Amino acid sequence: MDAYLAGSIADDALEPGVQERLVKDGILYRPEPGADLHLRRVVRALLEEALRDERNRQIDANTGSALASFKTLAAHYKEARHQGDHAAADVYLAELREHVYAFGETLQHSIRVLWSRINNEFGYVGTLNAKIRENELAQSQVSELLSGLELVSFEALAETAGDLRELRRLLVTNLQRTLSSCTQELSIVQGRLLELLGRFREIRGRTRLLKGWLLHMAQHPDYRVGPHAAGRMVPQLFNQAAPVLAPASLDIHDPTLESELLALLAQVRAQQAQDRPTQLLGDAPDLTLHEPETFEVHLSPIRAAVDAYFCEVIDSAQAISALDYHRQETLRWDAESWLYQVIGGYDGLPEAQKRHFELDMIGEKHPLFSGNFIIRDLRLWLA
Amino acid sequence: MLSTKGHVIERLLQGAFICRTTDEDGWRFLMVPGNREEVDSYLGQLNRQVATVGTGADGEVFFCGYRQFDDDERKVIGQQFRDICQALTPVAEWLVLVQEAAAQDAPLTEGAPLRLNELQTVIEDTPALHEQLARISHYRLFGSTSPTVDTQVKQVFKRLCELGYLIRPNPDKQIYLATGKLDYLYEVIRFIDEAEGLGLEAQAELASQGQLL
Repeated sequence: MDAYLAGSIADDALEPGVQERLVKDGILYRPEPGADLHLRRVVRALLEEALRDERNRQIDANTGSALASFKTLAAHYKEARHQGDHAAADVYLAELREHVYAFGETLQHSIRVLWSRINNEFGYVGTLNAKIRENELAQSQVSELLSGLELVSFEALAETAGDLRELRRLLVTNLQRTLSSCTQELSIVQGRLLELLGRFREIRGRTRLLKGWLLHMAQHPDYRVGPHAAGRMVPQLFNQAAPVLAPASLDIHDPTLESELLALLAQVRAQQAQDRPTQLLGDAPDLTLHEPETFEVHLSPIRAAVDAYFCEVIDSAQAISALDYHRQETLRWDAESWLYQVIGGYDGLPEAQKRHFELDMIGEKHPLFSGNFIIRDLRLWLA
Repeated sequence: MLSTKGHVIERLLQGAFICRTTDEDGWRFLMVPGNREEVDSYLGQLNRQVATVGTGADGEVFFCGYRQFDDDERKVIGQQFRDICQALTPVAEWLVLVQEAAAQDAPLTEGAPLRLNELQTVIEDTPALHEQLARISHYRLFGSTSPTVDTQVKQVFKRLCELGYLIRPNPDKQIYLATGKLDYLYEVIRFIDEAEGLGLEAQAELASQGQLL
């Protein structure tokens, strides 16, 4: 693990016995005489994969050798079948299958690695320039992968497979499916990489622009920007209209706004209440109790007339129609309000006096709507 | 309630810059070409149009521009151009300061968060940045007269918020977001660079190589 993190391991870091065994088993190796021990590539790749290390940027784009091994194995298989050696044929087929699957897996793994690098925007290197370089590396890897995939010729593979069903399925159907999905994904990866590169360049351009501007201003203190906005054609960049919108007034006649307006009004009131200075108790004027002035309640004339009507009934001890009395006395109120007032006067009597009177309502039911009674006249008489 | 379209038109007529950070709904609405045409034709009645800056799917910033020019419009535009040119150097210096303080490669762009407290701590710890801030904050654009880092930083941030370069999504926290107006500023510098052939990027590269040598 130390060797993985540091890249190499010093000679005296391990016990001689352990070191010898590790070298012998092919885990460590010495790249040149006198150099430190390094991890073998295979072990390193295993660790990178297991740890999902972002620095893992190795991509295997060697399609040609994979294809050659397919062909060789297919030829072995065919020969074994031809000779009737089914056991050997099965072994070759299994081996070939393993190779084809491994090929697809390697491709997918490469794409996964590319994606993970894109997704964190090459976050494992610090500076923008390094990111741009990383991006360029990734792009060259993508184009290598794509050109490697172009090498795969399905015609040649189909020819190799001949009419053997197992081989056809493995070499043509399976590979085609893998390749088409990989090619599709790779083109997306390429697009994203270009996009990212554009963005990195733009950011770098902006930084340089800012610094250049300041440098320019420092070197030419008397520099004034040219009159770009004064020409006949104003560039769109400087064509900025003046703000024209003033706050609108509210429409108090719009019933749909009523709830909002009420809420606003409540706020206004609350503010007023806060603004009002509170009066101290000491400042309040003296409160003295004195006798209330006597006052007279003037009866309204119509009520006086009603009282007179009641008296008339008592005096005559006969039932008198309210409208008849109205006509007889030529009262100046119209008939309807007179009737209302009489009913009101009757209802307003104290219970003890009310017992002595009877009020008959003369009228008819409403022809259309039940429960409504139209009063035409009233007759008051003594009970 | 006002529809998104009405809201967008109102914002544009108020002279606001609509970007993803300041007004995501409105920005999404304007990103649809059909909607943009509708707003455009509405603004056409007021001799205005929807103008855009920036490139890319996320980087667009919308604002309101004139459709036809007369003397009055030219006067307004001339004034705005002078304003933006005055803002260029102070804001550019501030951007470089922020970038150096955060030790980042990338300058502040739309949507990038900026924590006032962190920036302040770094500046307080570094005398060079401290001097730089003092110089920046005394520009007329920021108008600070205070000698302490604390008030200088706060004044600069306050002015930048007023000018629409930053927004503060939560008033309780000292976290700011850069708006699309910063992108507009970059475009202005780029435009001047290209129009006058200043070669700013080449100058910066030469200078950085000179430092390396």
